[in-house]
Amino acid sequence: MNLRTAKYMIDEMMINLGRRKGANAIAVIIMGLSLLILVVFLMVTLNLANLIDKTGEEMRLFVYLEDGMEQDVTREMQLKLLGLRGIEEVSFISKGEALTEFKERLGEESDLLDELVENPLPDAFRVKTKRGYITSEFLASIAFETEKWEGVEEVRYGKKWFERGERLAKGIYIIDLALGLIIFLSVIFVIYNTVRLTVLHRRTTIDVMKLVGATNAFIRIPFILEGALQGIAASLLAIALLTAIYAFSSKYLPGLVFMRYDALAGFVVFCAILGAVGSFSAMRRFLKL
Amino acid sequence: MSPPEHRIIAGIYHLSKDLGRHFSLTDINLQVTNGEFVFLVGPSGAGKSTLLRMMYMDDRPDSGQIVVGSFVSTRVTRRTIPGLRRKIGIVFQDFRLIEDRTVFENIALAMKVTGTPMSKIKQRATKILTHVGLYHKRHDFPKALSGGEQQRVAIARAVANRPAILLADEPTGNLDAVSTRNVLELLFKINAGGTAVLVATHDIEMVQSFGQRIIYLENGRIARDHEKIFVGDVRDRMDESRVSRRAEQLSEYDIRDEENE
Repeated sequence: MNLRTAKYMIDEMMINLGRRKGANAIAVIIMGLSLLILVVFLMVTLNLANLIDKTGEEMRLFVYLEDGMEQDVTREMQLKLLGLRGIEEVSFISKGEALTEFKERLGEESDLLDELVENPLPDAFRVKTKRGYITSEFLASIAFETEKWEGVEEVRYGKKWFERGERLAKGIYIIDLALGLIIFLSVIFVIYNTVRLTVLHRRTTIDVMKLVGATNAFIRIPFILEGALQGIAASLLAIALLTAIYAFSSKYLPGLVFMRYDALAGFVVFCAILGAVGSFSAMRRFLKL
Repeated sequence: MSPPEHRIIAGIYHLSKDLGRHFSLTDINLQVTNGEFVFLVGPSGAGKSTLLRMMYMDDRPDSGQIVVGSFVSTRVTRRTIPGLRRKIGIVFQDFRLIEDRTVFENIALAMKVTGTPMSKIKQRATKILTHVGLYHKRHDFPKALSGGEQQRVAIARAVANRPAILLADEPTGNLDAVSTRNVLELLFKINAGGTAVLVATHDIEMVQSFGQRIIYLENGRIARDHEKIFVGDVRDRMDESRVSRRAEQLSEYDIRDEENE
C-alpha cells in the first residue's frame, strides 16, 4: 500500500463521517450512553471494593495476657508477634490504658466502673495485620498459634462478626461480577449492533467499491478506522458524563473515589478496538466472495 | 494501414449454471471481440443478469469457463478479482450511484481505488463528464439528477478506468424514452471509441433496428446469434429507429398513466 492509497482511505473515512453527521452523532450517543452504564457500574464496583477493604483494615486482633507479667517478657512477646508473617503493627495496651479507654467509651455511665475495687481488665496487644492478610483463615491461624504461647490468656478478633462480614463481601462480589458480566455483554452487543447498522447503511458504497475493483483492504480500512473513531468518541462521551455524575454525587458521598486515569485510558483504547472489530466483522459478511 | 486486429476480450465456453426454480443456463458459448457491440436479448428470468454477473465473477458457473482478458473463472481468486473488475465497466438498471457522494466523487472513487493521482483523476473526470454532457452537474448529488442523467453518471464511472469491455444490465430499464435514447447513444459513442460493449435487455423490439450483433437467449440456451448486419455509424440511423417510435409509444403511455391516476 502506498502513501496515496493510504491518503485516499483516510479521505474515504472523512467523507463517510462528514456526509452522515446526523446518523453518526446518533450512533455515538447510543454507544456513549450504553458505555456510561458500564463505567458507572465500574466506578460503583471500585467504591464498593474500597469500602470493603477499608472495613477489613479496621480489623484488629487482640492478644490478652495473663496477669502479673514482667515488662521484659511482654516486650519480648511483642517482638515475637511482630516477627510473625503478615503482621504490620503491634501495640501494647496496659490494663490501665484499657480501663481508661473503656471508661471513655461508656461516657456518662462510667460511674458504674467506680464501684470496682481493682482493674479487672488484662494487659493486651493490639495487632494490626497487613493488607492482603485480612482473611478469616489467616486470623484464625494467628489466633491458634499465639494462644499456645506462655503468658497468653486469650486471643480475640470478633471471629463471628468477621466471618459474617467476609461472607457478605463475597456475596457482594459474586453479584457484582454477574451483573458486570451482563452489563459488559449487553454493551458489547449494543456497540457491535450500532456499528453493524452503520456498515449496513453503506451497503451500496461497499457494493460499488467492489464493482470498480477496490481491494478488500481499500474497502475495509476506512470503515475500520471509522468504527474505531466512533468507539473513541463514544467512550469520551461516557467519561464526560461519568465525570459529571461523579462531581454531582460526591457532594452527597464525600468518600467517593473516581476511576484511575490509566484505567480510563485503557477504557478508551478498549472502545476503539471494540468499534474497529465491530466494523470488521460486520463487513466480513458483505466482502466475502 | 493494417486491418484492426480481432482479439477476444471476453469468452464464455460451455457454460452451465443452475438458476434455481427449474431455470438454468445450458452450454452457453459466446465471444466478444475488441471494439464489438453486442446486445444480449432474452425474456426476464432467462439468466442474462446471472451471465453478466459471472462475467465480472461475482458468481461462478457450475461448469464451463469464462475468460475475460487474462482472467479465467476457474482460476480467479479473491485477491485477483479487483484486478479483473478494473478491466470491466459495469452498469445496472438501478444506476448504483452512492447517494451521499457528488457526481464527481462517484466517478473519482472508481479511479481512487486504482491509486490514480488526484491531478489525473480531475483531468480524466472532467473529460468523461464533458463526454457524457454532465460536467455542469459535477457537484450535484445523484438525487438531484434525472434517471437518465444518473445512468450517464454510472456509465461515466464505468468507463473511468478505460475498461476493455463495458457490461450493461438493462441499462435503460428504468428510463423514459428520451433518456433511453440518450443512454443508447452514449453507449454507441463509447463503443465507437474502441470499448467493447455488451448490453443485456429484454426489449427485443428496441435493439433490432440498430443492426448490431444480437444474441438471443431462450430457455437457457443461445437460440440465435445474429452478426452485425449494417455497417456504418449506428447513430446515423437513430432518428428513424424504433427508439424514436418507442419514445412516442412510451410518452403516450405516460400520459395515459397520468390520466388514470
